Amino acid sequence: MSRAKKEAEELSRVVIRIHAGVLAVVCALIGGFGLFGMTLWLVVKGGARVGVHLQLLSNYFIGYSVTWTGSLIGFFYGALLGGVIGWIIGKIYNAVAGFRQK
Amino acid sequence: MSRVLITGAGPAGLTAAYELSKLGLRPTVLEADDQVGGLSRTVNYRGYRFDIGGHRFFSKVPLINELWEEILREDFLVRPRLSRIYYRERFFDYPLKAANALAGLGPVEAFLIGLSYTKARLFPHAEETNFEQWVSNRFGDRLYQIFFKTYTEKVWGIPCTEISADWAAQRIKNLSLREALRSALLGSKRGEDGEIITTLIDQFNYPRFGPGMMWERCKDLLAARGHETVEGVRVERVRHRHGRVECVYGRRATGELAEFGAEHFISTMPLRELIHALDPPPPDEVIAAANRLRYRDYLTVVLIVKREEVFPDNWIYIHAPEVKMGRIQNYKNWSPEMTPDPSRTSLGLEYFLWEKDEEWDWPRERLVKLGVQECVRIGIVEPSEVEDGTVVRMKKAYPVYDQNYHESLAIIRNYLESFSNLQTVGRNGLHRYNNQDHSMLTAVYAARNIVGEQNDVWAVNTEMEYHEAEATGRQGDRLTPTRVTAGAMAPDEAPDDLIDAVFAKLDPVALGVALSVVSGLTLFLASATLLFKGGKNVGLRLRLLGNYLIGFEMTWTGALIGAVEVGIGAFALGYLVAWGRNWLLAAYCYLVARRAEAKARRDLLDKV
Repeated sequence: MSRAKKEAEELSRVVIRIHAGVLAVVCALIGGFGLFGMTLWLVVKGGARVGVHLQLLSNYFIGYSVTWTGSLIGFFYGALLGGVIGWIIGKIYNAVAGFRQK
Repeated sequence: MSRVLITGAGPAGLTAAYELSKLGLRPTVLEADDQVGGLSRTVNYRGYRFDIGGHRFFSKVPLINELWEEILREDFLVRPRLSRIYYRERFFDYPLKAANALAGLGPVEAFLIGLSYTKARLFPHAEETNFEQWVSNRFGDRLYQIFFKTYTEKVWGIPCTEISADWAAQRIKNLSLREALRSALLGSKRGEDGEIITTLIDQFNYPRFGPGMMWERCKDLLAARGHETVEGVRVERVRHRHGRVECVYGRRATGELAEFGAEHFISTMPLRELIHALDPPPPDEVIAAANRLRYRDYLTVVLIVKREEVFPDNWIYIHAPEVKMGRIQNYKNWSPEMTPDPSRTSLGLEYFLWEKDEEWDWPRERLVKLGVQECVRIGIVEPSEVEDGTVVRMKKAYPVYDQNYHESLAIIRNYLESFSNLQTVGRNGLHRYNNQDHSMLTAVYAARNIVGEQNDVWAVNTEMEYHEAEATGRQGDRLTPTRVTAGAMAPDEAPDDLIDAVFAKLDPVALGVALSVVSGLTLFLASATLLFKGGKNVGLRLRLLGNYLIGFEMTWTGALIGAVEVGIGAFALGYLVAWGRNWLLAAYCYLVARRAEAKARRDLLDKV
């Protein structure tokens, strides 16, 4: 068997392990800045009823509103939720991948 | 200080001596000829220098590059490479270029080549034991017939069907996918000095006065350190007892038989000659195996032409079957200082023969006449332009890789390994079609083995990249050297890990499950929060998901149904994303590997 084929086989056997902490940070940043940006965008646009639908997030995120202050609170919640989701995805993925490789 | 006797003052023999001198041992080199350099010598005829076959100096082995620089210093020239193929009264660029080949062969032939290539890709030879099958499978039968068959058979003197696919396959066999991926992602590999490592395809180094300059200088360096190179001594007997070589008897040019003793022996002699010189003789099966080894002999007819420039190439491959020569060298294009008079050109017409062929014994005048006739026939010189000519013969220039050599070599190797103080190195010492640099590497290893290292000289193969082998520490079908220190490997392992990490597979099921759990749970928790809070119109907006999720509503059952459905959808999405990513990366790996293979085959003819 050629070296390239052997290496291709070796590569195909390597399964990615996700670094849950890193994924959590990435998702936290996306979630935090995402909600911060969306809120801010609506506040800047202004209008009669600012962010009626986004405002519904206050059902889950206590203290959140579509205002300047709310955007900062939104950043916190977005980051927290994103971080938790990223971490859980990483952990579950690794557990299942590890189980399947045994 | 141990004495070491080396037979043969070619690149391997002199490198071994040079390395031994650095290690503080006492080497003595015996050379049958009256000039050092072996196949790599430079012959001087009336001030016209010529090379036996054209030796490009390029190595991917840093150790050998350092040795060359150390020996030759500033007398190394960097030369551009230009070579072409002569076929059907036309010249084709080599390595082949599509537009040039198309223009030369015409559209009809190009179409037929395309058809033949397609056929080879769709219905390749199932077995690849010989050279014909190997090349046809990769280039198509028609291209093989045009650009490989005639020349290869001229060089080796046997049908391509009898030539083992081994050495051709070696190039591809040793290609590293990781290395190809690294080059594709991070750019070309760089040497220790930071320069991009190019290939022999574009340019090469060449000593100012030909390759022999390197070995003459090496001999001088050895002499300056008090180590003798004895020329004109032909080894006749190698006396041994109890698994140790005791001494070597060599016949001087005067006819006198001289004895040379030492504690260690390194032989670069052709294996067949070595086996026959052993005293007492080895078992019959070893002698029979040695007799089965074949060597191709080589003859150069040098013509001095009264013209400043005959053609711009370093060399031309002659594929035309109507002439016997296989290649023409234009020495002044290797180095301008190979000719003493700029108004003259010296051409080397290369004939690949068996010693038993009648042309081998032809007198100089007849061979020069043949050379002139053939040059006229292909239209590169006029008879009146040829002012002089000479002939150089080189026996056993090429070890032949026929279908039996492997088995014979194994028997001989097994027997020779029973000697505790004898090592064989170099092209003929290992019966391996190694380039100069790898022959030298075997010599360095042998020298270091004497001081206690444990290198396998047989493991050095034609396409080995020493630094790469060190980096990976992995061993392929042909073993890589064993002398690898853990410390030297560590810094270079990181790139491999990186490649492994980048191209590792995402587990589709694992990603599917992870996304499924998180999505389902999120929807369930979102619904549950609203249900706990209660109110008039619970989850008015969230309830809209019911348009997509059948059975989803703002009840505890509805929340569970929604979570399950979202989980299933997320699983499918995660699975597809992972599978798609894996497929794309696998396709990319395949493309990179194919490109690397094609690149490796580009200069296949140079290796013939």
